[in-house]
Amino acid sequence: MNSSSTTLPSSAKNAPLASVLSLFIPGAGQVYLRSHGRGVAIFTTTLVLAFLINWALDNFRIGRVAAGGVTTSWLWGGLALFWAWNVFDAHRRTRGGTASNALGLALPALMIYFIAWQVTDVNLDRLVTRFEDTKIIFRALIHPDLFEREEVSQIGGFPLWLPCTTPPQSPFPPGAGSGYPLRLDKSCAKVGDPLTIRGEGYIPGTVGYVHWVDVKDEIQVREGGQAVTVVVGEDGRFEKTLKVPAFAGREGLDPNNPVQQVVEVRFTQEVGAPQPSENFGDLIGKIAQKPPPDLLVQLGLFHENATMPSFVPGKIFETIALGLMATLFSILFAVPLSFFAAHNIMSRIPGGMLVYYAMRTFLNVVRSIDTLIWGLIVIVWIGLGPFAGMLALGIHSVAALGKLYSEEIEHIDPGPIEAVTATGANLIQVIRYAVIPQIVPPFLAYTLLRWEINMPSATIVVFLPGGVIGFFVVETIRKGGYEQYAAALWVVAVVIMLVDYVSARWRERILVGETRVRTELPRPFYKSPRALAYVILALAVFVYSWELTGIDLKKLLDPGPTFMRLVGDFIEIDLSPDLLDTVTRQMLITIFQALIATTLGGAVALPFSFLAARNLTGRSRLLIWIYYLTRGMFNFLRSIEALLYSAIFVFWVGIGAFAGALALAVTTFALIGKLFSEAIENIDPGSVEAVTATGATRLQTIVYAILPQIIPPFTSYAIYQWDINIRIATIIGFAGGGGIGLLFYTYFNQLQYHKAGTVVAMIVIVITLMDFASARIRERLV
Amino acid sequence: MLKIEHLTKVYPNGTVALKDVSFEVADGEFLAVIGLSGSGKSTLLRCINRLIEPTSGRIVWDGIDITAAPASEMRKIRRQIGMIFQQFNLVKRSSVMTNVLSGRLGYVSPVQSLFNYFSPADRARALKNLERLGLEDKAFVRADSLSGGQQQRVGIARALMQEPKLILADEPVASLDPVLAHSILKYLEQLHKEDQITVVCSLHFLDLVHRYATRVVALKDGQIVFRGLPHEIDDVQFKAIYGQEAERVSIV
Repeated sequence: MNSSSTTLPSSAKNAPLASVLSLFIPGAGQVYLRSHGRGVAIFTTTLVLAFLINWALDNFRIGRVAAGGVTTSWLWGGLALFWAWNVFDAHRRTRGGTASNALGLALPALMIYFIAWQVTDVNLDRLVTRFEDTKIIFRALIHPDLFEREEVSQIGGFPLWLPCTTPPQSPFPPGAGSGYPLRLDKSCAKVGDPLTIRGEGYIPGTVGYVHWVDVKDEIQVREGGQAVTVVVGEDGRFEKTLKVPAFAGREGLDPNNPVQQVVEVRFTQEVGAPQPSENFGDLIGKIAQKPPPDLLVQLGLFHENATMPSFVPGKIFETIALGLMATLFSILFAVPLSFFAAHNIMSRIPGGMLVYYAMRTFLNVVRSIDTLIWGLIVIVWIGLGPFAGMLALGIHSVAALGKLYSEEIEHIDPGPIEAVTATGANLIQVIRYAVIPQIVPPFLAYTLLRWEINMPSATIVVFLPGGVIGFFVVETIRKGGYEQYAAALWVVAVVIMLVDYVSARWRERILVGETRVRTELPRPFYKSPRALAYVILALAVFVYSWELTGIDLKKLLDPGPTFMRLVGDFIEIDLSPDLLDTVTRQMLITIFQALIATTLGGAVALPFSFLAARNLTGRSRLLIWIYYLTRGMFNFLRSIEALLYSAIFVFWVGIGAFAGALALAVTTFALIGKLFSEAIENIDPGSVEAVTATGATRLQTIVYAILPQIIPPFTSYAIYQWDINIRIATIIGFAGGGGIGLLFYTYFNQLQYHKAGTVVAMIVIVITLMDFASARIRERLV
Repeated sequence: MLKIEHLTKVYPNGTVALKDVSFEVADGEFLAVIGLSGSGKSTLLRCINRLIEPTSGRIVWDGIDITAAPASEMRKIRRQIGMIFQQFNLVKRSSVMTNVLSGRLGYVSPVQSLFNYFSPADRARALKNLERLGLEDKAFVRADSLSGGQQQRVGIARALMQEPKLILADEPVASLDPVLAHSILKYLEQLHKEDQITVVCSLHFLDLVHRYATRVVALKDGQIVFRGLPHEIDDVQFKAIYGQEAERVSIV
């Protein structure tokens, strides 16, 4: 809420009039008293609340109360309170004061939060009640499918008549069993009879499972919900007594016609050293016989039909290549665009400001559409494949980098430009010696930062069935391959953390620069073997990545058959009230989902952030482990995209907005935990010292010196995170997480492009507004 | 000889920074320009090498009308006028050497300089100038790793690369400790005496003016309120320049 200091002497105004104005139109009294910002904020809040209450009642029956024949929402009571607060505020302002800002903020916030909680269908109890079912995934996380050992099976079986007859059937001869030696203590039995199995010659110490095989079927024998197992002793023998299961008699037992069934004991034993599993090959890579590259054939080193052992890269290499190429190509376009979006450059050119606004808008619109949505559009253009993923990632990166670059250009120091101009240098020399040295290091740093962001995105260019790792994950989890999914998570986490580490070190070096003193000029790179080796390595990586990404520029000129229709439909979007209603509903769910995720994740992160602050836990040798552990946990959780987590939560709490919110909450927890802990680390020890020196107690010090320093950055980070979460929430529906993403995905796949276009337009508008609002609010906070 | 005639500068927002300012600077002078912040000192200095375009009036240097010079001519004029800045204005992320060499840009071929190529003679000159300012061991470190005083010495070395006949110094010591202020001004004095370079230097502290300047011009609200020798500034003059509230302070 705005608190403006430009109030005129209130006596000049008609005091009761202000209150009356506010009574009829909320905020009007404040505007009359020249607090324009505050008045507009109150008016907008009232409108938004009224809309939300009505919407929540209509769509979700939230707050519904029935009295007499009338149904309404008790939330209107909350709005009435806010209205009353607004009149009181106008009244107070005529006397030079204000009503409590905290109350004016808390009322709408609580009401919105209540609605959000209901809309997102938050059911925290499900996390507990359904945990049993989810254990299978957590167990898989501990046993990712990367390595396997050879399995040796031992199966012993022995027949049994059911039921017994008079006179008894002939007992089976000792050799009647199959496989490994096994004996039963009787030759016939009925259901419920005790049965003792004896075996010998098995591998000592192994555990076997008892199976029952009848004419049609076989089943693992369970007693009291537990599988019946046998343990082989040191001498290779075992003995086990069990009851003949009901299963054996399910066909009905006819004493005149006994059936021969078989009792089996199965042992599987892993032997030998762990070998990379097939999943390892898919994820990371394997050695396989392949035809040699054309070049080697042409050189005559290999026969055309020969094969040679070569490395077949797995999904993770494709992912890395994709992230790398997307980042590299985005630089090419972002650099020139950024100059058109730089205020200090465009304002000097006649008509430049028009170009500036156009370019800024363009960059914001492109940026607000998520990579995955771009991906689907690009697929229509150039077809499936990793190239489509690269383009989608690239398009998004161009916009994001373009904005960062242009802001960097706007922040350059004019001093050196002045100084170099004063030496008599011409324009080109000024750019070369005063502008470029200032912008190249931050540009490089931002590019690396973008690379860090692109890498996780590359892992989820999922639903582009381009054979990238995200797709693989969704496929495997659909087939119930939790161990494969777990392996993918681990590999992604390790690679992303590695990329983060390398990139962070690199950025630090670029921005801080070399501090060691040199006595002579550094050698040009072509004379330094080390630098030369780096250049060659970089070139090789580039060529290999190009190959892996399957870049085919010709495809760009040959759009797919429906692409023109898509462009047309996206321009002539469907604005029918029905559709708008649906889209608004899903958009609101998305926004609320992000709100719930931010608060849940933030609340859990709060205590952990204190543990991850170096100035608190990094001091003693004992506590430093807590510091490293918490930091490590943040980094690990942060490295996996929310979309991949949603696979777990969809399984855990069921498909829907709550699952998506939880997935977002995990990434929020990690991101915000890291930011919070850094804010704590940045506390100025001076003011803590000063307050302590006045004789304040520990608690007083916290309240007066520490809290004032961390509350503004914490709030600012939380709002920023909400902003980010809305962006991610727009696609969380792709994996069953609810919200607007699913709507887009459905319309798009049904080729209803004009409806999909409406969804995109909605996303662009909301993200742009949120971006603007969050930036303004954060500016005021810090 | 530098002649300023009826110089006036009005900024687009209507601020009158200079109002009909005229004075002369003979070759070999160390002219101090004094006055409060906002009195027009920086604008005056920047009009001399036309980093700021004057609104009206003329600036004539060695018979050339600087105010009328076309852009191509300006390059040749500017390279003979070195400039030193309050905030040093070094490219912080470039090496000291590159910063110093950039003072040579008015002389070298624009194409060659694009590739950071400077002749061995220029490189030798840069090292010699750094040595003269006591910075020979810092040639290849990044400019932002130096202290403020060292950065300003790099700024002087850069100006020296231009082989200037005139140095404009805009508050060269205002961002430095008092002790360093003397050190920087001593270097300027050395250039003034040994190389016979004319110096036009804006200063804040009167005792620095007494110690280093040969002549003084005082500005107030864009107009000249005093011109003469440093010791002629008495209390009455002082109050006229700095206002009735001002007190004399001295620095070490």
